[in-house]
Amino acid sequence: MRIDLEHLEYVYPHGHRALDGVNLTLEGDRPVALIGQNGAGKTTLAKHLNGIIRPTGGRVLIDGVDLATADTAQWARKVGYVFQNPDDQLFLDSVRKEFEFGPRQLGFDQDLIERRMEQVAGLVGLADRLDDHPFDLSPTEKKFCAIGSVLMMDTGAVVFDEPTCGQDKFGNDRLAAIIARLRDQGKLCITISHDMKFVTRNFPRVVLMQHGRVLLDGSREEVFAREDVLKQAYVTPPPITRVARQVGLHGPVFTVSAFVDAARRARAGAGI
Amino acid sequence: MPGPASNGIPDSPLARMHPMAKIAGVCSLGLATLVWPDFTLGLGIIVMLFIAAALARVLRPFSGVMLGFGIPVTLMLLFIQGCYSPRNTRVVLDLGFAQLGLEGSLYAAKIVVTLLVFLGSFYLTNKTTYMGRLVAALTQIGVPSKIGYLILASLNVVPQMQRRIAVIEQSQHARGLETGGSLISRVRAFLPLLGPVVLSSLTDSQERGMTLETRGFGIRGVRQTSYLEVVWRRSDTVVTILFTVFLVLALVLGCLSRTGLIALAIQWGGRA
Amino acid sequence: MTEVIRVDDFSFRYRDADRTTLKRVSFSVEQGSFFCIVGANGSGKSTLCNALVGLIPHYFVGKSKGSVSIEDKDVATSTIADLSRQVGLVFQNPFNQLSYTAGTVAEELAFGLGNHGVSRETMHAKVARMAALMHIEDLLDKNPLELSGGQVQRVALGSTLIMEPDILVLDECTAQLDPLGSEEIFDIVKRLNQEGITVVMVDHDMERVARCADQVMVLGAGRVRALGTPEEVFTDPEVEKWGIDIPDYVKLARGLEDAGFDLAGLPVREDQAVRMIREALR
Repeated sequence: MRIDLEHLEYVYPHGHRALDGVNLTLEGDRPVALIGQNGAGKTTLAKHLNGIIRPTGGRVLIDGVDLATADTAQWARKVGYVFQNPDDQLFLDSVRKEFEFGPRQLGFDQDLIERRMEQVAGLVGLADRLDDHPFDLSPTEKKFCAIGSVLMMDTGAVVFDEPTCGQDKFGNDRLAAIIARLRDQGKLCITISHDMKFVTRNFPRVVLMQHGRVLLDGSREEVFAREDVLKQAYVTPPPITRVARQVGLHGPVFTVSAFVDAARRARAGAGI
Repeated sequence: MPGPASNGIPDSPLARMHPMAKIAGVCSLGLATLVWPDFTLGLGIIVMLFIAAALARVLRPFSGVMLGFGIPVTLMLLFIQGCYSPRNTRVVLDLGFAQLGLEGSLYAAKIVVTLLVFLGSFYLTNKTTYMGRLVAALTQIGVPSKIGYLILASLNVVPQMQRRIAVIEQSQHARGLETGGSLISRVRAFLPLLGPVVLSSLTDSQERGMTLETRGFGIRGVRQTSYLEVVWRRSDTVVTILFTVFLVLALVLGCLSRTGLIALAIQWGGRA
Repeated sequence: MTEVIRVDDFSFRYRDADRTTLKRVSFSVEQGSFFCIVGANGSGKSTLCNALVGLIPHYFVGKSKGSVSIEDKDVATSTIADLSRQVGLVFQNPFNQLSYTAGTVAEELAFGLGNHGVSRETMHAKVARMAALMHIEDLLDKNPLELSGGQVQRVALGSTLIMEPDILVLDECTAQLDPLGSEEIFDIVKRLNQEGITVVMVDHDMERVARCADQVMVLGAGRVRALGTPEEVFTDPEVEKWGIDIPDYVKLARGLEDAGFDLAGLPVREDQAVRMIREALR
């Protein structure tokens, strides 16, 4: 799966320029995090990836094919999109029907749907809620129902818009497992998030946006090493990274074990 | 002060008029037309309404409503009353398949102008009054705040639902739903989306009810105040007196003419 | 110190629910303090917030036992509207907090004041002051239904704060904001707290909770599982069991101690962590 954005521009009908010439290639199976302030253009960019929004300038290529050649319902086979608010997405009267809806639209046969249902329901933790009405689910479960209904479509790429919003530790752990599974299946996962702890734990590649442009694009180590740019974009590194920097450890550190290793090296006299 | 700029009400004498004075106008003009023996007074009022609409800078939408409603209703009533009214004695036009009678046509004209005066004056009031001011005015004369709330909240619900439907529709495209094609297939794709919109607006309204109470709505023993000040100016008094005098005059002259005590200079049928 | 909130052996089960949401919850909050409630989703945090402002039992029907009192007033025998003079609530979803009657943000802010019969002059002055405090001066003439999530969140908080409650209850009220926006809201809440308002806050960001709270209460499956200062609660090895993502500083310190570093204690805040780890690295 490869998505190319070429000089992508988007101006809203009321005149706001949300994307201002984005050049970006998203490919392979390395999970990518899109970060930046509200209004930086993250959601507008993500909605271009399967044509929910059409560019007002530049173009989007999916596996080399211009997105303009087909409608959103067609691109839904290639790129799945999970909205930030599950209430914007769920509209049927049982979790099972929500799960079946996408694959049915794409013409999957019933056997395949059943098989996927079992895997996906387990992955999102709703195996014993399949016959419940989505309105009876808790806000967290609803979010996983929306995620499940998109995973059912078995697309080559999946976009999550703020999946951690309102989640507790259990929810975040489950999300991490879903992202890892997508990577293992060779799928491209693109996630918009404000939660830098979550981003640095789960996403080896990070794209930082501001004012409709890409400010930084690289590995998390590269991106979080650019303190000046992060500051300019009002992004605060996660707690462990901040402590590591203040005590003078070398390079950006994201995990406890990386911190301990760096501290050992520092004590041995190599780093500080 | 017609209301804030964002509400799109152009400044004009009509917009500055007190909402209650406008309501008095609607009643006075409408009732006067109703009691007047023929359609002439109503026709005159309609001409005045068009002038008022032009002065209030809402001529275009006003004409749209008046003609869009007026032409089909006139044609329909003319056909029914003009051709088939038992009142008809004099024939003005032979259509071949039917004969257009004078009495029925005049009666149809009377009904049409009465409807148009009510519709037009009400539409003008609506178009030139910021609803917040109307409710503030109602609160000031002692109408319970709950009634004011009902008026305003119901005005806001529809656009909110439209926004939600648009988002849900967008997210279904992203799940492979085709909404193009024939009208029937579009309606079929659209109908299931209504369910969740209604459901979610129900749950939303429950939460809204909660917050209203936590903000003191429905508190007892307190006289409510409003943020907007609606001043009753001397011009409003003058206008209201004029409207009242006009109605009384129309009533008196109308009754006298009906009883045959005076003969109006011109009187075209409509005595029914 | 005087207690402004007292919850005594309080249990609640929603009508038609198959389990009790809150079980024998007892705690008190002192005037002017910053009290945080944390716990996994479904642990009963929002239900507790609803009980503090009187939505339980006056709005939600169900079976309750025990008592909740606000400033010595029994919530069960007062009305929500009366309680609205003492306690203000800000919910998770700001869009559901709009009155739907206001054509402009200014009127939205003034809605509660109007219900309390505040004079128009005072209203205008307070609206202007609140708009400045929340940095929404340029939105005053806008239609609240056409704002972004972050903007609505400010309006929602402002329209509660404008009623000058003694106690502010915040139920994950920064969920719609980006980190910068939520920090701004947070700074306002902290400043109000320093000026004397009692704050009860539900939040998922444990680093932030550790930074602000005087007291932290952990709810797990409807019961109080831990209650104390952030230091006491977050260094308790049991709390993680209840779905609490304890501050990374504690995890870091534990990792360093396991690796043979000698720390002066377990830090729950960034400044403590930096100080202790610097010492240990020396």
